[in-house]
Formats: sequence, C-alpha cells, structure tokens
Amino acid sequence: MFFKPNFLLLDYAIRSLMRRFGKSFFIFFILSLLIFVLASVLMIADAIKLELNTTLKTLPQITLQRFIAGKQSDVPLERVEALLDIEGISAVTPRVWGYYYFKPAGVNFSIVGIDAYEEQYSATLSTLTQRFDIKLLEKENGMIIGEGVQKILSENYYTEFFNFITSEGKWQRVHIAGVFHSDLALESNDLIILPKKLAYAIFGMDKSKATDIIVKVANVKEIPTIVQKINERYPDMRAITQDDIRVSYQNIFDYKSGFFLALFSICAFAFFIIIYDKTSGLSSEEKKEIGILKAIGWSSDDILKEKFYESFTLSLSAFFVGITCSLFYVYALQASFLRNLFMGYSALKPSFALPFSVDVSMLILLFLLSVPIYIAATLIPAWRASTLDADEVMR
Amino acid sequence: MIVLHEVCKQFMQGDEEAHALKKVSLEIKKGECVVLKGSSGSGKSTLLSLIAGLMQPSSGTISVEGKEISKLPESFSAQLRREKIGFIFQKFHLIPYLSALENVIAPLIPENLPVRILEEKAKIAMEQCGIAHKAKMRVNRLSGGEQQRVAIARALVNNPSIILADEPTANLDETLSRELIASLEALKHSGVTLLIATHDPLFFELPFVDRIIEIKNGEMIL
Amino acid sequence: MSLTPEIIALLTLDTIFLFFGVIAFFLSFRLALYWNNDASTPLQYSLTKQSYLVATIIKYIFMLKLPLFLFFIYTCDKLSNIIAGAMCASGVVNSVDFGLYLTLFKLFNLYLFGFWLLLHYADMRCEKLPYTRLKFILFVAFSFPLFVEIGLEIAFFVSLNISKIVSCCGTLFSAASSSYISLLFVVDELLWVGLFYGFFAMSLLAFWLKHNVLILFSNAMFLIFAIIALIVFFSPYVYELPTHRCPFCLLQKDYYYVGYLLYTLLFLGTFYGMGGAMLSLISKEKMRFSKLSVGFNTLYVVIISLYPIVYFIRNGVWL
Ligand SMILES: Nc1ncnc2c1ncn2[C@@H]1O[C@H](COP(=O)(O)OP(=O)(O)OP(=O)(O)O)[C@@H](O)[C@H]1O
Ligand SMILES: [Mg+2]
Repeated sequence: MFFKPNFLLLDYAIRSLMRRFGKSFFIFFILSLLIFVLASVLMIADAIKLELNTTLKTLPQITLQRFIAGKQSDVPLERVEALLDIEGISAVTPRVWGYYYFKPAGVNFSIVGIDAYEEQYSATLSTLTQRFDIKLLEKENGMIIGEGVQKILSENYYTEFFNFITSEGKWQRVHIAGVFHSDLALESNDLIILPKKLAYAIFGMDKSKATDIIVKVANVKEIPTIVQKINERYPDMRAITQDDIRVSYQNIFDYKSGFFLALFSICAFAFFIIIYDKTSGLSSEEKKEIGILKAIGWSSDDILKEKFYESFTLSLSAFFVGITCSLFYVYALQASFLRNLFMGYSALKPSFALPFSVDVSMLILLFLLSVPIYIAATLIPAWRASTLDADEVMR
Repeated sequence: MIVLHEVCKQFMQGDEEAHALKKVSLEIKKGECVVLKGSSGSGKSTLLSLIAGLMQPSSGTISVEGKEISKLPESFSAQLRREKIGFIFQKFHLIPYLSALENVIAPLIPENLPVRILEEKAKIAMEQCGIAHKAKMRVNRLSGGEQQRVAIARALVNNPSIILADEPTANLDETLSRELIASLEALKHSGVTLLIATHDPLFFELPFVDRIIEIKNGEMIL
Repeated sequence: MSLTPEIIALLTLDTIFLFFGVIAFFLSFRLALYWNNDASTPLQYSLTKQSYLVATIIKYIFMLKLPLFLFFIYTCDKLSNIIAGAMCASGVVNSVDFGLYLTLFKLFNLYLFGFWLLLHYADMRCEKLPYTRLKFILFVAFSFPLFVEIGLEIAFFVSLNISKIVSCCGTLFSAASSSYISLLFVVDELLWVGLFYGFFAMSLLAFWLKHNVLILFSNAMFLIFAIIALIVFFSPYVYELPTHRCPFCLLQKDYYYVGYLLYTLLFLGTFYGMGGAMLSLISKEKMRFSKLSVGFNTLYVVIISLYPIVYFIRNGVWL
C-alpha cells in the first residue's frame, strides 16, 4: 500500500531502456513530438485568448450598428443626441471608420476618423491623441499610421504622403504626419488614423451620418436593460456588447482547440497501437533476461515494477522534453507557423508577442494526456512479460 | 531440509510424453552434502529446477524448509528462492550486458536496500569466489571459468541455507575445481545444505560428501 | 456538449478505464467461478497469472482515479467561468440533474477500490491466498458502480450545456433551494454539529474499545455528518459570510485551497477507519489502520473547529 521507490530498480530500468536504444528512442521521439504539438497548441490558444481578453477590455461596452434590409448601413447623427436621453448611458460617440483596399499590395488598411474635440472611445486612441497633435492633423491634412502600414507604403514609394482614391475617383492627398509603434499590437498594426473630415471624403460618406455608434454606460450591470431600451426605440439598430464578443471568441477558441484535440486523439491512438505492438514483441534476449531474473528470485511483481519504471521514466522524460521544446517554440520563437491555425492568415496582423500564460493546471492536463495513457498502452505487454515461465525461456 | 515425495515430471515432446522424473522420493537433511550423479539426460537438472520451484511437478510434493514450494504463490516462492536458495546453473545464466558486480547484485534488487549494503554483500561473495578483481568487467567478456565463478558468487550473495549446484565444475580446470571444492567444503562446515549435480569424478571421493545418489532415466538407483 | 481540453482528457481516460474495466470484469468473473487454491491444474495456473493482470489493472485505475477526482472538481471549477451563473464547481455539477450523483459515485468508488486494494494486500501477504476468491467476487460487484460512474461521467459532459444559465452555490445550498438539500436547513444547525462531534467521539470510543463494527459504523456516520455540518455550519466561518454555504468554494484560491486539505484528511481518516475495520472483520488481523484513521479524523476535527473559534475570538460574535 505504501509506495517506496526502489532506486536500484529504477537504475536497472533506465539501463535496460538504454540497451534497447533504437526502440526506446523511437518511442521517446514520437511521444515527445506528440506532447510538443499538443502543448504548443494549448499554449498558443491560451496565450491568444489572454491577448484577446486584454484587447477586449479596451473595446467599447456597446457598439450600435444600423441594419437596413439586413445590410449594415450608416447611422444618422441625430440619434446620438436622442440616445443620451436614455437613463444609464453616460457617453455616446459616433464613429467613422472602414477599410481601404490598397490594390498594389493587395491589403486592407483600417481607417479610423477622429475628432480632436471628442472623447476617444478606446485606450489606444486616447494615447495616440495625447502623443500626436490632432488639431495640426486637421490643418495640414495629415494622418498617423501603424508600422505595418508604413512598411507597405514605403515599399510602394510613398514615404511623405499618400494619395487615397475617393469613392468618386478623385485623388485625396494626405501627409504622413506620424507613425506609431504598436505595443498593443493585435488591432493597431494596419491602422490609419486621420481627421473625420478626411475620412468622410475618402469613404464618400454623407456628413450627417456615422458608421456606427459607441455607447458607454455608467454601470456595467445595466448593460442588458440599456440594450433592451435601445432596441425598443430603434428596432433597426443592433447592439453588440463586450460580453457578446468575449463569448463568441471563447467559443471559437474552444471549438478550434477541441477540433484539434480530436484530430490529435486519432494520431495518439494510432501511436499507442504502435507502442503496444513494439512493447509486446519481446526479443529472445529480453525473454531470457526475464527468465534469469525470475530464477534468481524476482517475482512477477518485481518484473512488472521494473517494466512500470521503464515506461514511467520514458514517458515522463518525453513529457518534460516535449514541454520544454514547446515553451521554447511558443514563447521564444513565437510559434511561427502554428499560430496561423488560430489567427487566420493575414499579411499584417501576426506581429504581436504571445503573452506568457502557463499555469500548473495546464501542465497537469498535459501530464494526464500523456503519461497515464502511455502507461496504459504498455500495461498488458508488461504483464505478459512478467508472467513468462522461468524454465521455458532458460533452456 | 528438502523432502521430495513421489515426484514425477513429464514433458511434452511433440505429441509424446517424455518422463524426465519417475516417482522420485528423497530426503536431504539440513547441513547435509549430497552429490547427484547420472549420465546426460538422466534428469538431474530437472530435479534441481523442481526443488528451486522453477517448474511445477506433474505429481508428487516437494517441500523446502518446511514449505511446499510447488503450492506456494509465486511471490512467496520467488522470495524463498531469493532468501534461502542459491542456484548455480549449468549454463551460468548470467545477464550478458551487465558487469560481474551487477550480476551478483541482481538477485537482491527487489529487496530495496541501500546500494552500499548490497555492494558490500556482493564484494564479500565475489572475494569468496576469487573474482572480485573482475567486478567491473562485463560478463560476456569474461572467460568460461570466470563466468562460472561469477555465477557462484551470485548464488552465494544472500547467504543461502541451501545451495543447488548444477555441474559447477564443468568449465573449470583442475586447480580452479579444487578451489571451488574447498569453498564448497567451507560452506558445508558453516551448515549450508548442498546438493550438487555432476558427473565430475572429483566429487565422488570427497570426505565431506555425505551421500552420493545416482539417477538413471529419471529413476533413482539406491 | 463542449469539448474543452480538460473534458477531452477526462473522456479519454474514461475510455481507457472502461476498456480495462471490462477486461478486469470478465477475468474476475472467471476467477470468481473457477479459482481453487488447492488445485495445480493448468487452469489454475493460468488463473493465477490472470489474477495478476486484474490486480495490476485495478491498481492502475485507482492510482489514476485519486488525482482525477481532484481534476474533475477542478475542471468543474474552471467551467464555472464559462457557464453563466455558476460561481464555483457546485453550479456546474448541479447544472445536470445527476451531477451530484456523479460526484458521490466517484467518491464512493474511491472508497470501494481503496478497500479492494487493502484486501488485496492482506491477501498477498498470506501464503494461503485466503481472500483471492472473495477479492474477485467483490470486484465483480464493484465493477458495476465503476461502469455506472463512467457512463454518468460521459453523459454528464455530453449534456453539459454552456449557454444554459445555472444557479450558483448561494441558492443551491440554502433553505430556499428546491432540492432535498434545503431539508438540511429545516433542522437547527446545532443538531448537525452535535451529531458531527458525537460520532467523532463515538469513533474514538470504538477505537479504544477495539470494536470493529462500531468503528465501521461511527466512521461512516462521521463522514456523512462531517459533510452536512460543513455545509450548514462550518463553511460560513471559512468564507466569513453568514449566508455563504457551499462545500465547493473551499477549493478555490480565495480560501487558499483549504478544501483540498480538509477533504483529504476527512476522506483518508474515514477510509482507513472503515477499510481497516472491514479488513479486521474479514481477516481477524490486528488493527493497523485504526491509528491512522484516528490521526486523520482528529486533525480534520481540529482544523475545522478552529475556523469558528478563531472567528469568535476575532469578532466576538458567532455567525
Ligand atoms: N522443458 C523441457 N521440454 C522438454 N523436454 C525436456 C525439458 N526439460 C528437460 N527435458 C527432457 O528431460 C530429460 C532430462 O533432462 P535434464 O536436463 O534434467 O538432464 P540432465 O540430467 O541435467 O542432463 P545433462 O547432464 O546433460 O545436463 C531430457 O531427456 C530432456 O530432453
Ligand atoms: Mg543438466
């Protein structure tokens, strides 16, 4: 009942693993690889989730979009004042933003129009407005661009200014007044910020309308009731809350990692059949060894223990190697390649650092998915070996 | 104390039953030294294996140190083998990829004692057999005689009260054989029960041998 | 159904248990039927070998089930972040009708398997293998709760609905609860506390008298009333909130994971008490486990009693 480790037996087990180096190494390698892939995927998913959650906190509490005939369309600005009448709403900001397709590079830029006199609705924007003089932008038709945008523009020889093509086909020349570094990188790398006036011009939008409306509330708990009130007054408006976004992201991630894990299980299953096969085929040398050990006083139980030590050390070391490699791969190499599985490939976006997020529970989870399963696969072969008859193999 | 009562052992050879032992009854007292002689194939090794509990008799009973070894659960018979019986095998049965020292220690591993104590024990046994100087050598690099001595040291390592020796001198030259016999004599004087299966004539006129039993075609000749 | 990595891990291990459990069940069945200690037939010889396999399988399952029980609770705790309304594992466990039964079954099986292993070791220590047959008859019986548990667990995770709004422990463990748990609050809480200390005293007495039946009975009752008393009386002192009664929140970080310590002590103590007593009833062996049992139980009682006492000393009032 009380387990007392036998280090001599452990030593014996390790050396018998070493003796069958080819076979042990093959199993060790594949097992480490499986654990590595599994650990990397879980770590990436967790890190992205964490990054998203921090980003989500900076997102507006309620975003209002107007839908006409099922298509999103611009919101008349009169509604801004009207919305302020609803109790519980502390601020309402109309937004002008959209995507600009830059044909030569085949990419979309996000364009956000800002107004110097308005309260900025996101932390990113307010730091930007503090760092750059927005009024100056308005005066001299300037814009501030993200690093990714700057890179692409300079590749196309736009270093001082850029000519937008408006919806009427005219050129709109805008100065590059500044470049911001993307510390909060997930959203801001492809961003262009310019005065609302210019945004209206580039998009060809009606100046009495906005793309959508951001609502800030005084008390977070009142969000559902406020959404209900808005829906009553403007049935054509759809409200998206922070929570909606969080849940949908969460579901996508769980779904993706679940899907991956299901695939992984199939691989693992195939692998364990191989292990079963490899460990159940004993060479005549091994059989003889077991016979000798039994003849000199080992019991079946001791042989079984030895086999258990073997598979435990093998799988545990594979576990550690796999985890270490994936820590290195995910956080030092930033998981190049695998992260696209979760992010969707985009030329501009994959440039943020994965935040470190490994907790004990994930290690326990990975342990449970590797070591016990490996031991299960070797259980019956080990039992078979342990019950060999001494006299039969010793002839 | 070893008691055999009407022990039979059959083997299946193809479809036929081969009788390796036929109704063997035998009693060896504590501290006795018995030599078992007989031609090749007469059943000597089979008899020793049965006494050590390495195989089950087809019928009859075998008791060792008051315990019926063939009825004992496997873990107990293993323990008995480990603690009470030293077996010197005809073909040595050393584990080829381990060193001499490790081979001698091997029987003790399940007891989970500190390494230091085990190495001490092994050293003593190896010095007794004059093989201590080769302790670190892998056994498959040793000569036949050296291997034999490692096998004997392994049998002695746990201070057994019974030694079963199957052709212990088969690979030794005359001087080494006499050394071995001397150490067997010392064991006999320290009260160990000895059962030696051999056809080496050296054993047939030793003063310390109490009895010589001949076995022929699986039957004892009195 | 939602496939978070934790759930997939639990389900995978369940599949393995099921596979091994079925093998062990059939082998045990054969062993229970044909085992004959006195025979030296080839059948008996192969049965002996099979008995090792069954024992190995059971050891494997038990050794994993111990940490997995904690992992299960932990998973439910983690799911409570996703599921609306749930604040701790209890909300998640109770979001499915049979969730509480599943948890109880898990606990019950740990006791059963632990007892089986005790019997196994007693059996292996004896040259005559006196309990081998009994052991396998018992396992044939024990494998049913094991299969029920596995089935319940699979069903639990399949029917777990993340978007369903569940109730939190605050409403589950209160007089307002619609379930039978509310019955606990009908009676004065001091009655439960009295029973708790009473059965503890009885178990000490039983130990002193070395009366096995009494040890068995008092430990079983002690276990039940310890949990009830924990819910209705002690837990508010741990949370320092008069209305917060929950046996699960104890496991959270906010309370320094004290629940893991408390439950380990309680379960170990009562397990050794009941298992040891059962073993001495069967084998008439001397009691080796009772001391452990008394030690663990006492430690549990001391720690859990300290909570209200310390609270009273600090604040001068009872909750
Ligand atoms: N496992 C086995 N299967 C089949 N036949 C066996 C087996 N073991 C022994 N025998 C037979 O039993 C008989 C006795 O064998 P045993 O090894 O006991 O002879 P021995 O007296 O030791 O001979 P030697 O002096 O050559 O070692 C032989 O005929 C052998 O063929
Ligand atoms: Mg022979």
